[in-house]
Amino acid sequence: MTDKYLIEPDINFVKEIIGLGGDTLKKCFQCATCSVVCPISPDTKPFPRKEMIAASWGLKDRLVGNLDIWLCHHCGDCTTKCPRGAKPGEVLGAVRSYAITEYAAPKAIGKAVNNPKMLPLLMGIPVVIFLVLGLITGLLDFSPPLGEHGISHSMFFSTWLVDMIFVPLAGWVVIVFAMGLKRFINDIHENAVLEGKTDKQELDYVGLIKALFRVIPTILKQDKFSECSENKDRDLAHWMVFLSFIGLFIVTNVFFVALYGLQLHGPYSQLNPVKWLANISGVALVVGGILMIKNRLSKTDQTSVYKDWYLLGLVLGLGLTGMLTEMTRLAGMAGVTYAMYFVHLVFVFNLFAFLPFSKLAHLVYRTVAMAYNEWSGRK
Amino acid sequence: MTEDKTAPANGSILVVGGGISGLTTALEAAEVGYEVFLVEKNPYLGGRVAQLNQYFPKLCPPSCGLEINFRRIKDNPKITVLTQGEVEKIEGTPGSYDVTVALSPRLVNANCTACNDCVEACPVERDNEYNFNMDKTKAIYRPFEMAFPMRYAIDAAACKGSECGECAKVCKYDAIDLDMAAQTQNLKVGAVVWATGWEPYDAAKIDNLGFGQYPNVITNMMMERLAAPNGPTKGKITRPSDDKEPASVAFVQCAGSRDENYLPYCSYICCMASLKQATYIREQYPDAKVYIFYIDVRAPGQRYEKFYQKIKEDENVILIKGKVAEVSEDTATGNITVVAENAVTGEKVSQAVEMAVLATGMQPTAANAKLPADLTYNEDGFIINDFEKGGMFAAGCANKPSDVVTSNQNATGMALKAIQTLVRK
Repeated sequence: MTDKYLIEPDINFVKEIIGLGGDTLKKCFQCATCSVVCPISPDTKPFPRKEMIAASWGLKDRLVGNLDIWLCHHCGDCTTKCPRGAKPGEVLGAVRSYAITEYAAPKAIGKAVNNPKMLPLLMGIPVVIFLVLGLITGLLDFSPPLGEHGISHSMFFSTWLVDMIFVPLAGWVVIVFAMGLKRFINDIHENAVLEGKTDKQELDYVGLIKALFRVIPTILKQDKFSECSENKDRDLAHWMVFLSFIGLFIVTNVFFVALYGLQLHGPYSQLNPVKWLANISGVALVVGGILMIKNRLSKTDQTSVYKDWYLLGLVLGLGLTGMLTEMTRLAGMAGVTYAMYFVHLVFVFNLFAFLPFSKLAHLVYRTVAMAYNEWSGRK
Repeated sequence: MTEDKTAPANGSILVVGGGISGLTTALEAAEVGYEVFLVEKNPYLGGRVAQLNQYFPKLCPPSCGLEINFRRIKDNPKITVLTQGEVEKIEGTPGSYDVTVALSPRLVNANCTACNDCVEACPVERDNEYNFNMDKTKAIYRPFEMAFPMRYAIDAAACKGSECGECAKVCKYDAIDLDMAAQTQNLKVGAVVWATGWEPYDAAKIDNLGFGQYPNVITNMMMERLAAPNGPTKGKITRPSDDKEPASVAFVQCAGSRDENYLPYCSYICCMASLKQATYIREQYPDAKVYIFYIDVRAPGQRYEKFYQKIKEDENVILIKGKVAEVSEDTATGNITVVAENAVTGEKVSQAVEMAVLATGMQPTAANAKLPADLTYNEDGFIINDFEKGGMFAAGCANKPSDVVTSNQNATGMALKAIQTLVRK
């Protein structure tokens, strides 16, 4: 502990955390039960007791750039065992949501993602972009002819149009994350040094990248979730959604190469192994999404706010429209399948474009935080 | 006292519970001339205080205070003591209540001289609740050395009855009546004081602190019995698993207290009790280390604060700010490891000790067994005093968790409230 520490409470920060689902934070009386019952908290400067007092005192700087809020996997063991109902797990979730908005520029998008009133606008943006670009370029055909293998979505919504929109979008996502991460890594390091979580004074990026490779197996196996005892049901659901995203990421890239490199146009045969992966991933996404929603609804001591439903809605919507697009195509329902495909692309756009601003950004921040923690030598 | 005092028709007071609060209410009312019935469910008076080794902060044994009270009762013809009695029914209004008291048979009559011959003869053993089942007594037993009334009692659940009758055979005073029947007694009283006291919270309900799983995790009330000269170990503090003298002891404060999952409130006395018990250990074992894990030490008032300061000076008493939330046992040694986060340093502490004491709180007796009367309770089972309605009052820990001093003050106040009910009638 530093000898002197001038506390500068940020009252607005406290209010925002309360609004983001941390409404119980003031109930904490610092008994530190949470830090002990947490199955994944380290022994050196464990969380979340210190985060709870920082939240209640409005010490924004101690929280936003604090890697521990990301090491937390929201097991809920702390919330269950908390003697005051202060729900540390929920408070950290709210702080993470705040931190995502802090690191992703422009902040206005982050605010919109967390505001239910802006949902029609967010969903409307891709619709307008698709229509305007499609009509200008003529790459969107509302009465498309059949392709050589029957219904082909690219006849309706050209792959050129898809890539014209989504390739730059991917670039945008990378840039937003890169800018956020630069600040994020410096902040978590500064905070770790200040709070005595690490002995290492200088950041070492090579070391960090090596550490990243060491934590990848943990992330792939979702080991941290399996250590949770309260929210065990979520383990399988989260893992299904997580792996299906990886699966779909691989599928998208393979087909991208197939299209531009090998000049192979879809739709691809159901016997193609990549297609298998796509179908398995799609089903896993739908089932995992439903399980996650069911799990959230059944957990009465867990606070669910808009940011949670927004993401779950996108995940499930993405999976459902994707599977329905394929099924209606196979059923030969041309009009329906084109409409489904359009909606599917709207979901993909939302998930993609707002990735650095939504709760889903945890996949980047948590990964980096875990790598940093591994590098820091903390016990 | 006034010269022409006329006794009112229902000029008597019923006090339910013969612990320190009930004793006080009964004596204060009787000593100004009111007739008092004191009903106690145990075969002896003194309640929880009779189980304590020492009072805080003076560190004197409660036995001398109890002895004085027993003497005052003995000398006062206004008090009728009904042990092994439980109030079954109460009807009426302030100033006039009809009370039915069920009396369990003691199976030992007033001829008993406490010679102990019966105990030698009795072939049956029972768990000794007075010592929290850490030892056994025979089915016929003396509740404790200075029990009042000084008569033996037979545990009807353990006793084999007249088919055995070994005790009756050896009793020289014809004091044993194995066929003694249960009785009901009807009383007419004008006011009732409920001094039904408290139970130690059931530590086995606290799922992460190891009580009931690991023998060397005990409760603070068990520690009182271990330290008491008339306890199961004759006052020598040893740990249950192997009777070893503990070289280190951890106190777990707020064990199941101030916790919405168990007792949501503070029991007021546990911090002081643990500080006091630290002195028991330090006195017996000059090298022993005592670790007290707390959320915040509640030592209210000048005298308690001073006591806390004094204990803090002992370098072998280590106070750690952080609630213990995990307890484990080393099966080979029986040692206990308690885990907490030291909230001052922000480090997780795993402290291995030879014995751990859970500072459990008080649960009102009425929380688990509702009283047969029209009373209002708060959500935790403490009786709320309704002075406007009057007639029935709660004293001591039936009303709120409190120490002995506060209980006595409160009990004296309730004696006055009961008297006012009679006088205003």
